[in-house]
Amino acid sequence: MNKLEFLTRLRNSLEKGGLPKEDINDALTYYEEVFLDAGFGKEEETAASMGSPEDVAVNILRESGIHVDPAPVMPPQNTGAQSFNNNAAAQPVKKTSGGTWALRILIGVLTFPIWLPVLIVICSLLFTIIVVVCSLVFAAAVAAIALIIGGLATIFESPFLALMFIGAGLVVTGIVLLICKPAFSSLIPACGRAVKRFWNWIMSLFKKGEKENV
Amino acid sequence: MGFSINAGLLDAMVLSIVQNNDTYGYEITQYLRKAVDISESTLYPVLRRLQKNELLETYDKEFMGRNRRYYRITSQGNDSLEEYREEWRSHKKKIDSILLNEGAENNEQA
Repeated sequence: MNKLEFLTRLRNSLEKGGLPKEDINDALTYYEEVFLDAGFGKEEETAASMGSPEDVAVNILRESGIHVDPAPVMPPQNTGAQSFNNNAAAQPVKKTSGGTWALRILIGVLTFPIWLPVLIVICSLLFTIIVVVCSLVFAAAVAAIALIIGGLATIFESPFLALMFIGAGLVVTGIVLLICKPAFSSLIPACGRAVKRFWNWIMSLFKKGEKENV
Repeated sequence: MGFSINAGLLDAMVLSIVQNNDTYGYEITQYLRKAVDISESTLYPVLRRLQKNELLETYDKEFMGRNRRYYRITSQGNDSLEEYREEWRSHKKKIDSILLNEGAENNEQA
């Protein structure tokens, strides 16, 4: 098993277990670092030494028992550490929620090299599709007009050729109109809706984070 | 065969390692391996727990074009490490008195 497979399976298991995104990212950062620190040639070996990603995930989820329960309670481990656990248990309930929000923003900012290009690519793809469709239709419309004008211009010199031009022009005009009617009445609003929905989805990512922490 | 290490002892050892030097996950595991058979995946929940209890804090430092997460002990961590050490000394003494027949005055057998 290589690094990518290990990390992917770990992520899947953690997501299935319902661990908060920020904790999943933290775990993945840690495990990725382990692979990097162990060295490039040792991916298989490193993965083997850590056991199956699913078992690793179970351990992490168990340790984060705090997240399964809506009321945060410190995990009752380390009996030897109880002396300080007792006084520490009272504080983190408040502190972590403030801290996680800051952390969430920080992660958002720090990971912008990842999501910014993705965002740009999606936006420019949508834009390109709209432009391409519009210019194809525009080109066809221009061709139709040119054919008709060309036909009219040569109607006295070579009437048959002119008829053919005009006919072809009318055919293309018909096609353009057939395309334009549904296209402009539904395709462009659909693009608009898609852009809007995409925007709402991005905003909801931020809002969700806010809600969880209020 | 070996003696099993419980979570508290592991917490204490990690705190002690980090107290000597700010360090990162992989290195902590390497240190621990001198004494116990432990893998990186055993260490992660420990680090996470210590962080949540605010005994350790982290910061990122650049290393070869990437960020490496370093751990630093907090003052609360120092306190609890002292407690652990105290506890360990007394625990060790009790075990030694039986296992190594030390402190013979308490030993009826002799």
